[in-house]
Amino acid sequence: MSQILKRFSSVAALATTAALAFTLSTNANADKLDDVISEGELRCGVVLDFPPIGYRDANNQPAGFDVDYCKDLAAALDVDSKIVPLTWAERLPAIVNNRADVIFGGTSDSLQRAKTVGFSIPYAIYYAQAIVSKEGGIKTFEDMKGKRIAGAVGTVPEKEFLKYAKKWGTENLYQGYQSENEVFLAVAQGKADAGLTTNTTIKPVVGQFKTLAAGPRMPWTTDYTSVAGPRKDIAWLNYLNLFVTHQVRSGRYQELWGKYVGGEAPSLRIPNVMY
Amino acid sequence: MDYTFHWRPVIKALPDLFSAALITLEAAVLSMIVGIIIGLILAMMRLYGNRPMYFFATVWVELARNTPALLQLFFFGFGLGAFGWHLSPFMIVLCGLAFNNAGYLAENFRGGFQAIPKPQYNAARCLGMSASQTYTRIIIPQVFKLVYYPMTNQMVWAVLMSSLGMLVGFRELSGATQFLASNTFRLFEFFLVAAVFYYVLVKLILLVAHLISRKLFTY
Amino acid sequence: MSETASTIQFFTGFSLNDLPFLAEAAGNTLLISVISISIGSVFGCLFGWALYASKYARIFLGSILDVFRSVPLIIQLLLFFNFFPILGFPLEPFAAGCIVLIVYTSALVAQVARGGIEAVPEPMRRASRSLGMSYFQDMRYVVWPIGARAMLPAWTGVALGVLKDSALVSVLGYLELLRASQILITRTQEPFIILAIVGAFYFALSYPIGKLTAKLEQRWQYD
Repeated sequence: MSQILKRFSSVAALATTAALAFTLSTNANADKLDDVISEGELRCGVVLDFPPIGYRDANNQPAGFDVDYCKDLAAALDVDSKIVPLTWAERLPAIVNNRADVIFGGTSDSLQRAKTVGFSIPYAIYYAQAIVSKEGGIKTFEDMKGKRIAGAVGTVPEKEFLKYAKKWGTENLYQGYQSENEVFLAVAQGKADAGLTTNTTIKPVVGQFKTLAAGPRMPWTTDYTSVAGPRKDIAWLNYLNLFVTHQVRSGRYQELWGKYVGGEAPSLRIPNVMY
Repeated sequence: MDYTFHWRPVIKALPDLFSAALITLEAAVLSMIVGIIIGLILAMMRLYGNRPMYFFATVWVELARNTPALLQLFFFGFGLGAFGWHLSPFMIVLCGLAFNNAGYLAENFRGGFQAIPKPQYNAARCLGMSASQTYTRIIIPQVFKLVYYPMTNQMVWAVLMSSLGMLVGFRELSGATQFLASNTFRLFEFFLVAAVFYYVLVKLILLVAHLISRKLFTY
Repeated sequence: MSETASTIQFFTGFSLNDLPFLAEAAGNTLLISVISISIGSVFGCLFGWALYASKYARIFLGSILDVFRSVPLIIQLLLFFNFFPILGFPLEPFAAGCIVLIVYTSALVAQVARGGIEAVPEPMRRASRSLGMSYFQDMRYVVWPIGARAMLPAWTGVALGVLKDSALVSVLGYLELLRASQILITRTQEPFIILAIVGAFYFALSYPIGKLTAKLEQRWQYD
């Protein structure tokens, strides 16, 4: 008995010391790039309720633009790819907590996030757009004032919108959901008047829900989304940068964009900036 | 270990967490009040009701007790939404918890009523009490004492279950924790503090319940 | 490339294809529940005995187990799941879910087991010791059979509770029944029917076990 007790208290002690005492990193030899190659597996965080960028096909297998990007990266590294399905809010914690090596998840490269994770150069560009119910009468962004707005927890559109909601004093009308899919459902079922989503998602969703329509474009800036990885692994982030440019140069970027989103892939250049 | 703990965002967010804890408590208390009322009615229906009433109450009790609470919450959320019934996240949690509480409490109440010997009822009536007097003065106080401990337990469960609110978009303690953590990406630190909040909340409830019981049940 | 954005189906309806998917997920729910309940119950009985036998265990072990009963399971899962990768050992959702559910089950069973041992009348135990039984013989042949009967209803309650609570492992991404239902809802947008199917499965599992125990309990009362 006392042994069980001892073991228990030692585990508890370990947990507390680890939680409170460890503040500095202790290991700095092999970097992420080495780790992935020697593991032979690339753990790729992807959000799967973000059609057509990430979704599940009729056999419930992951598919979409981000999923193919993940497979391409694994192929380039000559390792197996493992898709780690994530919710929006889990994306960055998954990197911080080492549950994934890389995130392809339409992650906007905000400065606040960059304090926590490392970003590659942008690999896809989106803009935020609302999805509205057909009868709701929301035509412009101003119409959304005082309406019930749904969004996914832990996304940039959520944060940007809440700034406006705060100004309007309507923060209490905002509903945060675990997945973007729940946002669509909420609007389709009438729980919310409009949902925050992305231009690429509008088309498949409007095709699915007869009661929904494309809403106004959101007033904040274009979403430059980047591949996210551990902040300290510069070599890994450099590799990701090179991967993004190779996808464009080889025409794979246009091919996948055409396959999933349709039309011409947006140029990844940021106007008037040299980088 | 390649992780740096940051506690500052959590400390900065403590006031928010505290008010979220109050929302958790509010939801749990309200769901208990509704649950007790419905639970009593369900128990009566199962004991004294006619066949349809018995059937209705039994279905409620068995559904509440034999399916996951999270599923019940989802049902009150998007399940009902499919029929055009819209509940706010707060109402989803309140209805879900009250549904669950009522199911469990109904069984406790039924056991309590059955434990009171029949002759007591007859004796009270012989002494000239009306039926309602008999219930309010003789039967219910005794049943209350019998079910007091299970009710305290259910209250604790209600607090713990309300954490599922975060999965249906309700900003109670867990939902607020997740929201704040997603702003700073400090999931572990935030949830550790939330765990402490829950622990203290549960201990406070048990303490209050203990004090009340000392006051009520010592003659 | 024959597929283009206009021909790919991003949402597909609920179909027969999905039944094996649901069945696999139901199997996963059963798997994680059976593992957690059986291992957790063994530990729970040991802990319960320790709580009964030792004052120190009541103070230390008792208060540790109390934490697991006072913190929502979903928070325990999230904490544990995120803590191990920090230490450098990323756990699969299944492993993390199992460990948390085992500890959670054992914390609940410990209380039940302690109650079971206390339900064995003291004179009976003194009698068995006077008959020359050792402490462990007394435990094995007297306390266990009587105590197990006393704790069966409460234990079933815990076991069914864990079966239902295993739905929470879905938040870690483990593909159990509830997770599968969420995936299907995302894809098919038919929440009501899918929630009803999944609810019926839990019910079909939990209800007969509960009824059976109630019956056993009643029969033993007249023994």
